[in-house]
Amino acid sequence: MSLAPARWLERRAIAGLAVAVTALLVVVFYYPVGTVIVEAVGDERGPLAAFAALLRDPFYFGELARLVAGESPLAVGRDLLAGDRRLGVVGFTAYQALLSTVASVAIGLPAAYALARYEFPGRRTLRSLTLLPFVLPSIMVAVGFVAAFGEDGPVNAALGTVGLSIDLFTLEAIVVAHAFYNAPLVARVVTAAWESVDAGAVETARSLGASRSRAFLDVVAPQLLPAVAMGATLTFVFTFGTFPIVLALGGAEYTVLEERIFRLVQELAYAEAAALAVIELAISLGVLYLYLRIEARQAGGRTARPLPRRRLRPPELSVRALVPRVGLVAYGLVAAGLFLAPIASMLGASVTNAGGVTLEHYQFLLERQAEGAAFQAQPLPAIRNSLLFGAGALAVALPTGVVIAVLTTRSYRGRKLIDTVAMAPLAISGVVLGLGLLRGLVFGVEVGGTRLAVGGAAAIVAAHAVAGYPFVVRTVAPELETLDAQLAESARALGATRVRALLDVELPLVWPGVLAGAALALALSIGEFSATVVLATGADQFTMPVAIERFIGRRLGPATAMGVVLLAVTSASFLAIDRLGGDRGGL
Amino acid sequence: MRRRTFVSAVGTGVLASLAGCTDDGAQTEAGDRRLVVGTYTAFLDAPSISPGEWVKTEFESEFDATLVWQSPPNELNHYIERRTSDVGIDADAYVGLTVDQLVRVDEALEEPLFAEAGDVTGADEIESGLDFDPEGRALPYDTGYISLVYDGTAVEAPETFEGLLESEYGEQLIAQNPGTSATGRAFLLHTIHRFGEDGYLEYWDRLQNNGVRVLGAWSDAYAAWQDGEAPMVVSYSTDQVFAEQDGADLEKHQVRFLNDQAYANPEGMAVFADADEPELTREFMSFLLRPEVQGELAQRNVSFPATESAELPAEYGELAKVPPEPVTFGYDRLQGSVEGWIDAWERQFGQQ
Repeated sequence: MSLAPARWLERRAIAGLAVAVTALLVVVFYYPVGTVIVEAVGDERGPLAAFAALLRDPFYFGELARLVAGESPLAVGRDLLAGDRRLGVVGFTAYQALLSTVASVAIGLPAAYALARYEFPGRRTLRSLTLLPFVLPSIMVAVGFVAAFGEDGPVNAALGTVGLSIDLFTLEAIVVAHAFYNAPLVARVVTAAWESVDAGAVETARSLGASRSRAFLDVVAPQLLPAVAMGATLTFVFTFGTFPIVLALGGAEYTVLEERIFRLVQELAYAEAAALAVIELAISLGVLYLYLRIEARQAGGRTARPLPRRRLRPPELSVRALVPRVGLVAYGLVAAGLFLAPIASMLGASVTNAGGVTLEHYQFLLERQAEGAAFQAQPLPAIRNSLLFGAGALAVALPTGVVIAVLTTRSYRGRKLIDTVAMAPLAISGVVLGLGLLRGLVFGVEVGGTRLAVGGAAAIVAAHAVAGYPFVVRTVAPELETLDAQLAESARALGATRVRALLDVELPLVWPGVLAGAALALALSIGEFSATVVLATGADQFTMPVAIERFIGRRLGPATAMGVVLLAVTSASFLAIDRLGGDRGGL
Repeated sequence: MRRRTFVSAVGTGVLASLAGCTDDGAQTEAGDRRLVVGTYTAFLDAPSISPGEWVKTEFESEFDATLVWQSPPNELNHYIERRTSDVGIDADAYVGLTVDQLVRVDEALEEPLFAEAGDVTGADEIESGLDFDPEGRALPYDTGYISLVYDGTAVEAPETFEGLLESEYGEQLIAQNPGTSATGRAFLLHTIHRFGEDGYLEYWDRLQNNGVRVLGAWSDAYAAWQDGEAPMVVSYSTDQVFAEQDGADLEKHQVRFLNDQAYANPEGMAVFADADEPELTREFMSFLLRPEVQGELAQRNVSFPATESAELPAEYGELAKVPPEPVTFGYDRLQGSVEGWIDAWERQFGQQ
């Protein structure tokens, strides 16, 4: 008897969740963003005037703007081929994003290879901490990079001896710092894909006479390609829509789209800002759509039995055993320089002042905790909030992402379009989203004489979840798609509901993907800043990144000390999840 | 187990988000009257320059009222946004208003956001050169000077703007983006003051050719300067105050006033037009202008007082430097111009 209502719920779980997810997205995403985007057509010169002005402006579109302005395509084409062509803000933004993507993939892939295919002491710890750079505020990365790679920096001196030094305040510095953020993302999603490769398929290929490299190219590579493409796509979209690193490590010579949007919003030039944001969104969604076309064409074959890991210590002194291992060790040294040096510099900055070594910055944190006023950011509440919001956001983002993954892997016309639209939270301008949340949620809407406003902890969790669920979709959907459809159908034929088949049969098979998505969503929540400050109704809701930002005055020490706290707390929680979850449970 | 958390978490997440409230009642403890004051975050939170807590304690100990601080992330724009979205201003006053912000307010809004200051005791003590609002709404409460700070052990900074163009100062200066930083904006305005609106772009062209670095925020630039990326940085003339707190060698923290000038950035306060407590707000403004409060405020904010009667220890002036000739643009000069100036600069400097 008591089973009946439970079963009724189970039958409707997917549909119910789909409705809840849609409502959530409308309230914390589409409506708020809509309040800003609509300004693009609210221009007094006419609905499309703002777009027309932008498209004709060489500052934004370089030589292409002349085409829009009506110049001869031949003349424009000739100048495009010339050495001193103008890219414009949009062109440059795409160019640096493309370079950042190439660098992130190049740095991320060997890490994925090492993590997925080799066994070595600290492998699990390293995998758990892969996403650590993702949570760091840009000011911390800038401080770390300048200290590590600056002219007086210790690392640059060392790297210089092997010809790898990085010049700050150049395009190169921007690209490397973007790779610092995004190579871990590439590494994380590719590791997950590699861990789901069916060992049986590789063994079959080998037993049929395929060489190692043949088996890799025919069996493994096709299964990795979508993950690599996904990592690259996400990196492109992120680096296309961001600006703090460009401002801190590049300089004002390098103007990117999101910085223009930020500036225009600050100057209250909403029509132009919204039009630029629409252009940014369209380009990002276009790239995501292209990726989704690739994802749909990938090969299948998932398993619960992953490829066995090899020992990093060479089993024999043969060329075949040594070459990849020596390569990995060399890569490890470079990666350590890139990832550990800025973090070590941050640590150093937190325990020094002009007079030498000091603990005064940490002492400040203790004092602020003990004596801080209600309107001030305090370390412990910030730690608590970061963890609570992260857990809450994960608890919402996981089912949201899984439901959308299920809905977009069914076969129907236009599902790729729906899938693309569902990725909009990744592609939207953060500045526009922040303004939209202020207008749409904090100010609220008037319904029948009462103003419905939403703010505070629950709204922050919802906003973080909306920002994070696309990761879950992207790591789960491709894997679900390649599952043998008969598995779920057999389960359903045996009487299981759709949700039961999903939970008992499908999800366990794509578990590495679920975990990778969860890790990304959690890291995103812990590092989130702009939605949090807009939605927080008081200092008691500030998170660690907010505290860092608030502690920046005219001395950077206290902020870096809080940055170290952020790193320590985040590392500890990632490691704890890993230890609690076992090898298939760690994020 | 896992699937149970899936489902129940969604339910509470969505429902709870509708229950969020938007009041910061936590700060109300004593007194019948409640004065709500908006400001920028560093005024309340930055360990180096935050007089907010002291002001609250002192004010409440004397007035039977509670001072509630607000620090919206987008600062003054928050209130402009509230007004244009028609949700009402939930504060009585704003502290930390600058000239260009006031210009922006007036260009964005048809109805006034702020009321005239009116009868505020002590307002006649404000130095006349600092007054920046021709309509008498904003009252300056302090000022700062933006100048060059340089490492005297590495370089001897030039005396003039023209000197910065000499080859020996190539790649020696770090400045900030006027679009994203207050110090960067002040330095740009100083060059416009110096070379005129027809000449500043050419000056910047030459400065760019001489390798000036323009970073996004003051903190980015100062961190790079401290790490020795360049020996000169655009910063505050109070730099030695922080340097001494840090135990730094003051020789490495020298201040240079180019052409014996520095750009003054007075900060003002104003009462919102629809304040609930306009009279209490005026008492608050008057409180901030008292000689002893002015002195304390300047020291805690590491800035300079706005009144002539401020009580400041004599030694404060030894580390906090005042330029021989402060320069600044008033409201009338900036109105209708400042956005265009910055835009033109961005289009030239960031052209690609």
